[in-house]
Amino acid sequence: MRYAEWCIAAPTLEADIAAAAMGLDDIGHSRVLYGSLRELGTPDGTVDDAASYANVPYLDRPWTEWAEFVAANAVLDNAFTLMIEALANGNVETLRSRLKKMLQEERYHTLHGRSWMREVEAGAAIGRAWRESVEWIGPENGDVDELHRSGQLAHGVRDLRRLLEERLDASAPQPAIEWGSWEPIRRRTQAGGIDQATLDMLQGLAEKRYMPASG
Amino acid sequence: MRYTRVHTDVHEYDVFARKTRVEPLHQVGSVVAPDDDLAMAYARATYDEERWVEMMIVPKAAIIPLWAPGGDN
Repeated sequence: MRYAEWCIAAPTLEADIAAAAMGLDDIGHSRVLYGSLRELGTPDGTVDDAASYANVPYLDRPWTEWAEFVAANAVLDNAFTLMIEALANGNVETLRSRLKKMLQEERYHTLHGRSWMREVEAGAAIGRAWRESVEWIGPENGDVDELHRSGQLAHGVRDLRRLLEERLDASAPQPAIEWGSWEPIRRRTQAGGIDQATLDMLQGLAEKRYMPASG
Repeated sequence: MRYTRVHTDVHEYDVFARKTRVEPLHQVGSVVAPDDDLAMAYARATYDEERWVEMMIVPKAAIIPLWAPGGDN
């Protein structure tokens, strides 16, 4: 959704179109992931308030600078893609078969993000996105490494961090992460959640304002 | 042709695609980008309206024109 917010605000018409297309891709990817979870027997979660959404803090608020879009596109999107890749190459058959198309589409997100990363000065935003990617991947010897050992994920935490650097052809900033305050479900250390306007939109509340009053 | 816009130095690329293996590639449009990576991302995002079996981009600078409307011949 944050990508879609830039579909008429990016610096070039081509980037507007790419923002819209990547937003649509990612909505489709979410649907495939939720469908896969259901197929694997995970019950639907309840999402009542901002704190029940398992998003990274980077997505809590709309981005005000194009550099923030670029950093999310280059760093966070690639971190998510590497995890999808690790699942697609793991030993869970449902995921092996369903996630391949997603990776083909994500290739273009990588090309877009990496190229814009060379074009704009996004240092601070990149640092923040990288830190949150590391938090989202999780601590060493945690759940991700456990899933790697059991073969469900093709990569462990160290591999994922290294692959992110390789994919972006850059060295990761080395932030000190307070793993003590890390929330294992939301995979973040920072409290808070999505802004109210976005939450209303996600839950269909914004849409109701435009509906005629009943009776 | 070279443009100067948001990026300091950009290039124009022609986009070619086809829907089936038996038809030839044809030009579906063009994109402007600073490098091949971004040109690929733009071409795919902009001309994604069909289920193409093949898509490629060619830097316009690599095309050698023989004649064209408005030319001498």
